[in-house]
Amino acid sequence: MIKFCKVFPFITSVCMLFGIVFHANAAEHAGGMNVPSIKSDAVMTGLENPWDMAFLPDGTMFFTEKCKGLSVRTSSGSVNKLYGMKDTKGYNAAGKDLFCDGQAGMLGVVADRDFDKNRTLYVYSTSTKYHGSGCKTNFEKCDGNIVMRFKVSSDLKKVSDRTDIVKDIQYKPFESNQPFGGPGAHNGGRLRIGPGGYLWVAGGDRHRGVCPQDGKLLCGKVLRIDGDGNAHPDNNPPAGFDARIYTYGHRNVQGIDFRPSDGRAFTAEHGPWHNDEITGLVNGGNAGWDPAEKRGGRSACPDKYCGYEPNQMDGMDPAVRAAYTPMSDTRFDDLMPAAWNNNGFSQGTGSAAFLKGSNWGVYEGRLAVGIMGIAFGDTPAGSRIDLIGLSTDGLGINGIVRMPLGFTKRFRGLVMGPDNALYASTDEGEIYKISASTK
Amino acid sequence: MRHFSFLKFIYCFSIAFLIAFSKIALGGDAEAGKIRYAQNCGNCHGPAGMGLASYPKISGKEIPYIIERLKTYRSGKKIGSNSALMIMMAKTLTDEEIANLAEYLKDAKYEN
Repeated sequence: MIKFCKVFPFITSVCMLFGIVFHANAAEHAGGMNVPSIKSDAVMTGLENPWDMAFLPDGTMFFTEKCKGLSVRTSSGSVNKLYGMKDTKGYNAAGKDLFCDGQAGMLGVVADRDFDKNRTLYVYSTSTKYHGSGCKTNFEKCDGNIVMRFKVSSDLKKVSDRTDIVKDIQYKPFESNQPFGGPGAHNGGRLRIGPGGYLWVAGGDRHRGVCPQDGKLLCGKVLRIDGDGNAHPDNNPPAGFDARIYTYGHRNVQGIDFRPSDGRAFTAEHGPWHNDEITGLVNGGNAGWDPAEKRGGRSACPDKYCGYEPNQMDGMDPAVRAAYTPMSDTRFDDLMPAAWNNNGFSQGTGSAAFLKGSNWGVYEGRLAVGIMGIAFGDTPAGSRIDLIGLSTDGLGINGIVRMPLGFTKRFRGLVMGPDNALYASTDEGEIYKISASTK
Repeated sequence: MRHFSFLKFIYCFSIAFLIAFSKIALGGDAEAGKIRYAQNCGNCHGPAGMGLASYPKISGKEIPYIIERLKTYRSGKKIGSNSALMIMMAKTLTDEEIANLAEYLKDAKYEN
């Protein structure tokens, strides 16, 4: 009893002390985690396949609609239709050579870094102008995607001086015996301005097996060029490659942005029923996609394209498919390993933007990634925006959370606005403003 | 008397049968179709079958059209460039689910 009386106050004191310490820690965490409140508002609705947006510092927003054309929403909220596709109505001007089919059409848009001085805008689109005689079958070069440069008038009511600064990005002209096999497949199309003001162009393999690893073709590549379409002088592709190529071996890149901390480019691309990927790019590197037949241990494939093999018309374990035609084939010495592969699934990963601004709290610097959520085989559905923390070396991730939006959409385009809000276009026809605030 | 009871039983049974299966017999259940649609059709064709990206609009189609299409895909026959996806999706659909989907899509509308 005496012993207990001596020990009890000691135990009580220790417990109280720890209690105070734990309480203090809890209070500190509550005030220090800096988790933002996130809300979303539709700023535009009723659009037709809005694909990409580009902002000016005052909030002016250029946007593309895949089968209609280029428009601008001014800072006062009025909308001007600037440049349409063939046979569209209501636009100030139109390109008779511009058309849409399947995944192809008017896609990426970005403003020049010095827009306030030169009023220059870049737009990616599908065009018949440079087909020549090269589009008679799916097995020819078929130059069908271009990058146009425009001057935008000071009143934002028209564009002029169209100059096609890239004329030779390949396009798929005919249907083939593949899943998603229509014309315009795997058409890439995102444009962004990177460090130093250079223009980056993200492409796709257009369902042609030889594209990604062929150094003379621009399909399945990421380009880094200047405003006239010339190669960046420091591009370092393998010998014999087109000098405009920054990286090669891509499948279908629709997301690209630059990490604020070091300026490194990261791409988000669609996988072939396995492995959507985010990849930290290395100048001259190989993303490792090679769907050509009779390579890497494969035999002949339908339409000379092994991108969905084996067993392309049915569901199967994504890991088995991935072993047959890998997204990141380790047989390449210059492979850029993916940082993230969507747990081995492909759900349609088509856009990416780094979150900028302290209003994003603990998520500042994370890569927001738009995922369409396509479900087939045993792949689960899940349209969403993921917020992914990338490791410093770009070879992995250190965290991933789903953007708490309270709804699901097919998020096609993501870009940061000048107000540090994330803007998202959806295939359903809206553009959302997603804002974050911390206490 | 016994003959009358048997007829009465057949009559009542037929009425009960028709009530229980009238939704299938007469077309389909739009509400059930909406739920089934949301499970995986909407990820490609969009809300209410509005059509998204390169996936066609399927709302507003006549019931026989949707039923015929889905049954064709279910049989493994190709129609169009996205057949591989549709064959895989339709493989597990029952006649009742197909009827429900067709009933739902006939009047489905996306509003935002």
